[in-house]
Amino acid sequence: MLKPVIVLAGSLIATGAAAQTEIVGTVDSKCIIISETSGVYGNPSPNLLTTDPTNGGVKPIIRYDVISADYYKAKISYPITFSSAPSLDDVVNWEGGVTVSEVSDSLMSDYDTNKITYNNATEYDLTIAGSTWFTVASEADYGYAKSLPAGSYNAVVEAECIPL
Amino acid sequence: MLAYSSSSYSEEVFGSTQNAASPGLTWVMTNILPQFAGLEVNGLVYQYTTVKDPDSDMIVYVQNENAQSDGYIFRNADDWSGLPGNTINKSFALPNTLGEMWGNGSIEIAGEGSVIDPSVIYTYKYDPCFDPQSDPSCPGYEEIVEVPEIPFSDPLEDQLVLDELNRQAKIDQEAEEEDRRRRQKESKIKDALENLLGDGSNPELISADAERMAMALFSINLPVDYYNPLEGGEYVETVILDGGTIQDNKKARRANFAQQVLHQEMVDSQYGSGASAQQEK
Repeated sequence: MLKPVIVLAGSLIATGAAAQTEIVGTVDSKCIIISETSGVYGNPSPNLLTTDPTNGGVKPIIRYDVISADYYKAKISYPITFSSAPSLDDVVNWEGGVTVSEVSDSLMSDYDTNKITYNNATEYDLTIAGSTWFTVASEADYGYAKSLPAGSYNAVVEAECIPL
Repeated sequence: MLAYSSSSYSEEVFGSTQNAASPGLTWVMTNILPQFAGLEVNGLVYQYTTVKDPDSDMIVYVQNENAQSDGYIFRNADDWSGLPGNTINKSFALPNTLGEMWGNGSIEIAGEGSVIDPSVIYTYKYDPCFDPQSDPSCPGYEEIVEVPEIPFSDPLEDQLVLDELNRQAKIDQEAEEEDRRRRQKESKIKDALENLLGDGSNPELISADAERMAMALFSINLPVDYYNPLEGGEYVETVILDGGTIQDNKKARRANFAQQVLHQEMVDSQYGSGASAQQEK
């Protein structure tokens, strides 16, 4: 009785096989950032660049579309350097801020109350599914009442959607 | 492969309205939606800004009445209670609904606060060939048969008709006058003849034979009473039987019996008992 068992075991070893099956998946972000309005600096005084509409500027508007609530936070940073500008030999004092300017759900109106601000960044917990429009203000004050050199100035607003 | 295109192909037209809330927080949809047959509303986008104390309660309704029944065909509530004011922007993809079902719209506020800068825009679609007769290029279009316009004319004002009527009236009048004269003439002749014949002083007006016949008729004595007795009497038997007695006619009796049987069958057949009655016999 033992022998057949061994033979059977040998047979099993001889015909044994291994296989691997691949599982593929794709995760699409449930948070989308869209730059709806590009900002424009107005130049009301020689030393000042501002997005304030009363001074000829345009505030940039960023829209966050969140499909799933409570899974993301928005981090928006107003600029603290020019991405391109004429050569500057003095300090630029940066100011700015981020506010919720439009919502698709009235409950999002509380985002500004609960936002966290540090340095030049503002964070919002995106606790409501839907669209939220954020308006960014930026102002660059050059030196101490010093005239900015003529030329083109560009700055960048960074917007991130950070998974929680 | 054969490609075919036709100018009669009908395509749906999509569009959007102006801001319905620009005049105020209420609006009349018939002034907002274009008046195309078969137009259907398929979406709505609204935006407004609330001005309020963050601690106060406020609910804003954006709504449209149902034009064909009670209630609303669209109503959405934004609860701003305990929240700071802000600008809200909402869009809705709606099932296609006939534009005529969309009644008057409004933004209604419950609680404390106000709404500024409202904007309500409807999106719609329609088929320009919903009514095939609206455009000759529409499929199903049928050429319109032009009915010539015939000006109405009163026949009683037509001169030819009037002339004919006058002519006919004149003829009728003449015929009537002729008839009246004829009847008048006949009446005169009849009266004259009666007077002539009624007068016994004109014996020469009838012939001698006629006069004799008249005299003979007048001479007959007609009965003056319908109850005059008739002359009666007795008619005696004039036929005499030779031989004494008359034998019965058996043939006639048999024939008479056969007729009786036949008559009885006919009577029984009328009451549905002919067979049984026959069998009994």
